[in-house]
Amino acid sequence: MHGNTPLLSIRDLKKVYKTRDGELEALGSVTFDIYPQEFVSIVGPSGCGKTTLLKIIAGLLPKTSGEIFVDKNQFDPSREVGFVFQKPLLLPWRKVIDNVLLPIEILKLDKRRYIEKARALLELVGLSGFENNYPNELSGGMQQRVSIARALIHDPKLILMDEPFGALDALTRERMNLELLRIWSESQKTILFVTHGIQEAIFLSDRVIILSARPSRMIKALDIELPRPRTMEVRSSAEFGVYSLEVYRCLELT
Amino acid sequence: MNILQVSARLKALARWVKQSVQKNLNSIFVVLGFFLFWEAVVWIFQIPPFILPAPSTALSHLLFPRADANYRWSYHISSTVLAIGLSFIATSTVGILIAIALAWSKRLKEIVLPAFVFINSLPIIAIAPIILLWMGYGVFTNMVIAFLVGFFPVVINTITGLEAVEEDLLDLVRYLNASKLQVFLKIRIPNALPYIFSGLKICSTMSIVGAIVGEFIASDRGLGYIIINAQYSMNTPPIFSSLILISLAGALLFTLVSLLERILMPWTALEAEP
Ligand SMILES: Nc1ncnc2c1ncn2[C@@H]1O[C@H](COP(=O)(O)OP(=O)(O)O)[C@@H](O)[C@H]1O
Ligand SMILES: [Mg+2]
Repeated sequence: MHGNTPLLSIRDLKKVYKTRDGELEALGSVTFDIYPQEFVSIVGPSGCGKTTLLKIIAGLLPKTSGEIFVDKNQFDPSREVGFVFQKPLLLPWRKVIDNVLLPIEILKLDKRRYIEKARALLELVGLSGFENNYPNELSGGMQQRVSIARALIHDPKLILMDEPFGALDALTRERMNLELLRIWSESQKTILFVTHGIQEAIFLSDRVIILSARPSRMIKALDIELPRPRTMEVRSSAEFGVYSLEVYRCLELT
Repeated sequence: MNILQVSARLKALARWVKQSVQKNLNSIFVVLGFFLFWEAVVWIFQIPPFILPAPSTALSHLLFPRADANYRWSYHISSTVLAIGLSFIATSTVGILIAIALAWSKRLKEIVLPAFVFINSLPIIAIAPIILLWMGYGVFTNMVIAFLVGFFPVVINTITGLEAVEEDLLDLVRYLNASKLQVFLKIRIPNALPYIFSGLKICSTMSIVGAIVGEFIASDRGLGYIIINAQYSMNTPPIFSSLILISLAGALLFTLVSLLERILMPWTALEAEP
């Protein structure tokens, strides 16, 4: 399916937390590759280390052992990664546009050169006209869109998303899924998407990585060969049902 | 911004202004009622002015020159206002800077904060004479006394605000390799603003206490000086005139701080959108 080289390779990644009650093995062993412009989801029961995995990739946590590399080079998360967290995490004292521009300031890039881009990204996420609003004037779904625009502003290759729609109501969540697919195809980014929503993972992804409960192992990497662009109809197709059943089986839910 | 948002924002702002005017109107009525009651009590019970002067008597002392106690009110008022203002500005500026330094260096905080707790628990009345001894009369002495009374709430509130940052919010900039300075400038300090302002509100009251205490002990001018001076001659009305002026100054300073808060934190005006 992918002839090219991986954007990111993860080999036998392990994470052990040292806690007061001893060691806690959060990631047993995780190995996979992500290819450019792929949409990969990670599903697994809560507490299996999905957030831990993303934070290690982003350089927010040290790994215990294993390798993370791009093209055999070490991986510089601050340039290559955009992170969308579970909560929108907008700074309440900054207007929407200045929230989007935050990474530019942190990376000490020339802010003037990115203002037009910030506007374009807000348009991409469906928020043009809200540049000068404060976050507390936006709904939860809109805030999460701002945080997606913010993750894209410094043009990282890889977008990490940690259950970004988990706090939204079902309807908004479906709508955000469709939006995300559009943003993904228009921005040509690579996305690693963590969720515990099995349907959501299948609907969005090229590949679904299924993790077991702690200490997590990779149970399976399931290629999703549903046609793109995907619409809501695909969810009621027979293939979609087959994929869902496969994931449920892997997670021993059947 | 489109027209709908502009109008929504204007509406929210107008609502806030209206609410605060209403709130203040209420308190103005309460204060006026209190003065009327006081006036009535003095007249009904014929209380002699050296025990409790009526507000009107206190006011007449302020407005008309008198043979028995001819204070140069404008001179003393401006001196006290200057002392309070300088004390407040110095205490809040130095307090905030100290707090930033302590939040920056954990080591420094562990050393310095216990000393601050100690200084803060010293009774200011007891140490003010020593400060006078060291520094002599003058507005600077007043400022030092006011600082000792008022710096603690500013320091503590500011440190709390600087440290009360969600861990996730720090992750947001950490993965971009933010420097410690950037974390302070972009996250911690703005995050501390609401805390700083509640510290400043306490400090505004404390600055007045400090400045007046300073004038009691270490000054030949100001409302604090008038209170002491009038007390020697059992001339009660100027004391009450001074008290009324002091509380007026307190209310004014508090209002200014609230106004500054509103201006520096415009996003809080937009909360509670329907
Ligand atoms: N900082 C930490 N210290 C100790 N244990 C942690 C820490 N963070 C997470 N854990 C534990 O590691 C496991 C995996 O957590 P997490 O990565 O948040 O899981 P998930 O995102 O899949 O729900 C959980 O059991 C959690 O309690
Ligand atoms: Mg998680």
